[in-house]
Amino acid sequence: MVRLFAALALPLAVPAVITLFIWALPGDPASIICPPEICGGTAELAAKWHLDQGPWHFYSQWVVGALQGDFGNSWRMQTGFPVADLLADSVPRTAALVALAFVPLLLGAIGSATRIIPKQVDGVLSAVGLIPAVVLSLLAAAWVTLTYGAMAYDPEAMRVKLLLGALVLGLADAALSGAVVGVRGITESERTQRYVQMAILRGEGELSNALPNILPALAGQMRARLLGLLSGAVIVEVIIRIDGLGDLIWQGTLTQDFAVVLAAAFGFALLSSLMLVLQAAVEVGVALHVRKSPQVMA
Amino acid sequence: MDKLLSRKVLGILAVLAFALLFVPGLFAPEHLADGASFEPWLGFGSEGAPLGTDRSGHPLHRYAMQGAAVVAGPSLIAGLVVMAFGVMGGLLACAGWPRLEAAVQGFGELIGALPRMVVILVVALLLPKDARSLTPIALTWALLSAPGAMDEAAAVAGRLGGTRFVEALRAHGFSGFRIYLVHVVGMNLRPVLVRQGVDTLVQVVFLEIGLSYLAVQDSEPSFTHGDSTRSWADLLYMGYGYFLEVPSGHALVLGLGLVGIVALFGVLVNRAARAR
Repeated sequence: MVRLFAALALPLAVPAVITLFIWALPGDPASIICPPEICGGTAELAAKWHLDQGPWHFYSQWVVGALQGDFGNSWRMQTGFPVADLLADSVPRTAALVALAFVPLLLGAIGSATRIIPKQVDGVLSAVGLIPAVVLSLLAAAWVTLTYGAMAYDPEAMRVKLLLGALVLGLADAALSGAVVGVRGITESERTQRYVQMAILRGEGELSNALPNILPALAGQMRARLLGLLSGAVIVEVIIRIDGLGDLIWQGTLTQDFAVVLAAAFGFALLSSLMLVLQAAVEVGVALHVRKSPQVMA
Repeated sequence: MDKLLSRKVLGILAVLAFALLFVPGLFAPEHLADGASFEPWLGFGSEGAPLGTDRSGHPLHRYAMQGAAVVAGPSLIAGLVVMAFGVMGGLLACAGWPRLEAAVQGFGELIGALPRMVVILVVALLLPKDARSLTPIALTWALLSAPGAMDEAAAVAGRLGGTRFVEALRAHGFSGFRIYLVHVVGMNLRPVLVRQGVDTLVQVVFLEIGLSYLAVQDSEPSFTHGDSTRSWADLLYMGYGYFLEVPSGHALVLGLGLVGIVALFGVLVNRAARAR
């Protein structure tokens, strides 16, 4: 319940907090975007972008627009350009980057749960995981520049950048090592439980018995890993030059384009909400499965 | 390694790594151009510039010192804040206040559901240009890390027995101070708290390097420090030129070396906290 509530609240809360912060800044928002001493028509601009009637008016208008897929126009980054178009361009790239980066994590998690990946590998993975994303991204960017030079924005180079970015995201900041070591910790501790030992004596599989009990914890851990990948995507996309959501929010921050930052943060919040819903679905599914199982009389 | 090295040895190595990283920050020059200038792109071991120079002849050790000054204070504060939250989480699990625990858990769920970098960028966006500093960003990172630290500390306290552990010690006639601060925090939560604190410290240093690198790559001022100050990210960016045939390999080695020592410091402190 808490998770579903958080999933619903998150996409609404994030723009609300940013809106409040915009109004908390010194000076009114319209003057921040278009200082009257530099550009004329500040009042008209404020009315056009719903900045003239306080934070609630702006927020409500923004949410109504966002629910219809209208995020307004860019204020500074690409002035007048629809933010929805910028989002439509960038979201698929970030989704592909994060999905690709998640593949080794998922394989690592399965490998450690099934003991295909031996414990001895943990030390090597942990050592690799100590490298921050910025360093691996720098090396990947250097390789792309040396290999493709001026052709670094060709479709083939873009595909390579996406793969390299996914590799960096998957390895850096303990993403892979965290998934492998974390899943191993959960599964190995469950394997020592009495009911799993009994299952082995009955000739049943260890994991098939333990899985319903550890699945919620595994789902939580995988969500945290995905969240980490989304967060790391900002650094990777900017350094390797992948035009994704992370790059968009970075450019929006640099240019103080609140419309872009609001929409990009909303996009991240939506993706995060989706993960919360998936985790809640796993938990509900496990609870239903457990309820169907035969009751043990005390 | 834990079996071979005692806590004392690991602790001494960690202190040495810490001193190597952060103490030079105390003596950092205010401006990069303060002091003598040398020939451009001098390598390691040059007279007056033991770590070499940049394209303008400024010694790279000044970059290293200024970078240390940028990260030392804020990262330490962030680490301490996370440790304080961890203590709160552990004590809450022992105090037996289920409603407060549930409220904290719900709040943590919401805070923890956001990609941290997005929150950091929103905070960076709202920082006035003349008040750019790593401290607010580090504090935000600490707040975002707090739910995880609280959860882990609460789990350790829970395994300890939670309220039953406290009741048992009360039955022995121990005072509240001795129960909570000595037994719960000092003896049982310490490794978790130290690990969380140091992890946050290391993450804040890497965050600063990451944010500054992004800014310097786009030729923009950094969100984490003033224009007259350089970060360790400048060394990495300068070193990146080495791949494009700029004679800046020494800057790359220095930048990567500093990153390596930061990571090593984190490992050493974690091992020391767990070692006997």
